[in-house]
Amino acid sequence: MDELRMGGRKWNWPPKFRKWEFRERAHFKIGMLFLLPWTIGFLIFTLYPMAASFAYSFATYHPKAPLEWVGFQNYADLIKDDLFWKSLYNTLFMVVIGVPLTLLMSFFCAVLLNLKVRGQSIYRVIYFLPSIVPTVASTILWLWILNPNMGILNTVLGYIGIQGPNWMSNPVWSKPGLILLGMWGMGGTIIIYLSGLQDVPTSLLEAAELDGASWWQRLWHVTVPMVSPITLFNLITGVIAQFQYFAQAYVFRGSHGLGYPLNSTLFYSVYLYQNGFLWLKMGYASAMAWVLFIIILICTILLLRVTERFTYYAG
Amino acid sequence: MKNTLFKLLALFAMASMLLTACGGATATEQAQAEQTVLRVWIQWGDNPQQIQTLFDKYTAETGIKVEVTAPLEEDKILPSLTGSEPPDVLVLSGGDLVKSYYKENLVTELSDIIKAGGIDLNDFFPAPLDQCKMGEKILCLPWGTDMYALFWNKDMFEAAGLDPETPPATMEELAEFADKLTKTDADGNLTQVGFLPDQGWGHDDLYVRMFGGFWYTDDGQHVTINSQAMIDSLAWQQQFYTKYGADKVLAFSSGWADAYMSADYPFYTGKMAMYVDGEWMTGPNFISAFKPEASYGVAPFPPPADHPERANTAVVQGTVAVIPAGAKDKDASAKLLAWMMSPAIVAEEFCFNANLPTSKKAAEDKCFTENPKFKVFTDLMASPNASYIITTPISLELNDAFGTAYERVVHNGEDPKTVMDELQAEFEPKLQEALK
Repeated sequence: MDELRMGGRKWNWPPKFRKWEFRERAHFKIGMLFLLPWTIGFLIFTLYPMAASFAYSFATYHPKAPLEWVGFQNYADLIKDDLFWKSLYNTLFMVVIGVPLTLLMSFFCAVLLNLKVRGQSIYRVIYFLPSIVPTVASTILWLWILNPNMGILNTVLGYIGIQGPNWMSNPVWSKPGLILLGMWGMGGTIIIYLSGLQDVPTSLLEAAELDGASWWQRLWHVTVPMVSPITLFNLITGVIAQFQYFAQAYVFRGSHGLGYPLNSTLFYSVYLYQNGFLWLKMGYASAMAWVLFIIILICTILLLRVTERFTYYAG
Repeated sequence: MKNTLFKLLALFAMASMLLTACGGATATEQAQAEQTVLRVWIQWGDNPQQIQTLFDKYTAETGIKVEVTAPLEEDKILPSLTGSEPPDVLVLSGGDLVKSYYKENLVTELSDIIKAGGIDLNDFFPAPLDQCKMGEKILCLPWGTDMYALFWNKDMFEAAGLDPETPPATMEELAEFADKLTKTDADGNLTQVGFLPDQGWGHDDLYVRMFGGFWYTDDGQHVTINSQAMIDSLAWQQQFYTKYGADKVLAFSSGWADAYMSADYPFYTGKMAMYVDGEWMTGPNFISAFKPEASYGVAPFPPPADHPERANTAVVQGTVAVIPAGAKDKDASAKLLAWMMSPAIVAEEFCFNANLPTSKKAAEDKCFTENPKFKVFTDLMASPNASYIITTPISLELNDAFGTAYERVVHNGEDPKTVMDELQAEFEPKLQEALK
């Protein structure tokens, strides 16, 4: 393809280069110099560890002795490891249930926060505030909110006649508890949605209104399609974040072992950490990391493919 | 204007040159001092400032600076041992991983260092020292030690019509007492619990010793987690949950562990009548700080009725010191370790924290003997039935798997034998693989 359309302008492709002038060459060097700190950081702290973990995943790791090559043994062991599957299930639960629920709720909140009402900015601040609370602090706070005995949530549920569950010690309710915790801190997602909502052209909404569309029809047929790229972005970042879920689960168990209760909060990254840093099985943990990388890669590609039909890019 | 600016700049330049010159001098001094700085990393440590003050005494005696880093997260331990600049002495919270570390060549075998430092092994209580031994090899030295005993709330005993001065004499009697001390409301929800076998954390090592077994054979060569003793100890613990509905007990006790260091701890507020805890509770920093008026008793945990000879069974846990294999100056590490293990220093450090001293001479210090409640633990330490936790290269992994199995049995009412058979089948081959 010789022509590429970008922003409505025609571009020649490939561009024809002329010889650089002295000044351009100097600028290039300066530019490279500015890039250098990042490049060095990337090579040392990202690329090298990734390459090393790839190598470790085919070996038994000994801290003070050469790697002991075992071929695909670590990967083969993973397939036979019940806890691996359990941790994958727990993680998928958070992805499949937690992410859509959070998206739905944050879109709903964003729509409400976009209403022109008195005190709009105060409401926005209130909804955003939890997302700047550090993860550990908010998790400890939620340990108290979810406490079945004296927690505020079960107390309120008790007022309306519902006996709240044992959020922390019942394996059925621990993950829903963590999803609640996550939804409390969804301010970031709300803000992104809010900015998307403000980009929905008022002309379209007014035209729909003139045609007699109800509030719901305007929301469903105009607003939702117009913010679909935002939804896709939030969906993909949400999915990746849930696949890497760690800190909340690490804190949420309180004084119990990792995964409490009954391994219901043993998420993929938690099990990886346990293998690598507590059981000294770094090779096995590296294999887990690469399997996770591939899972996330496949999920992201699938999401992009599947949502292509539903995503509308204006302009 | 321009002139003034120039003068100002010149002044700044001169000032900064002077500062750099001074800085240079300090840097050289620091470099000289750094040659004699020893680094001690301590995994546990509620009060790092106090530990630094203790090690400052070493500096006062020898002129060698000691830099203390405490506390450490558990995932910092491995990097601290594998890195190019390991600490000169590392104090771990427990001996669980020492054998694994030794197998990976991360810690030094201490026989030579003990000889060089003139450390008297006869001064150590045998139970804590034994956990550091692997055959003839000594891989660590115990520093501060913990033991566990039964605590009971005298006011609650009295209210339930029990003699407040008499703790249960057998494990069976303990269960009877617990039943009398447990109360529920009209809906069957608990308002008071008699005994929780795993309040705060598990004490399976103690219970299983009372039933005459352990997770491993004594030589650590085989897993025995489905032994009758193990099954009996789990069945015994199970009753405290199943009798009242595990979900109800869990809901009632939820969040208690977080109140551990406060006046709201259920043991003082009349919500829990008996539980198992460590010697530090009787010291100045816990019960007497949070609830000085609490009326409670401490006694060795009782044996099962048909095995009175197992009275005074107790299991030692506690911190152990190792010297990383990569420590730069082993002689300096040896001297520092010997100093740490000397009775006077052991007495000072563990008097302060109200932990048990590992040194027999230190244990004679009156701060360990004058408090009769604390003395329960000191006596347990010297008991012939005092033992240690047998560790193997798979200890941590089995501990974690056992944690889940424990929940299945004790909190979920599954059959102990079935669950323990599963663990046995999974971990015996893992142990054989790891021991190769």
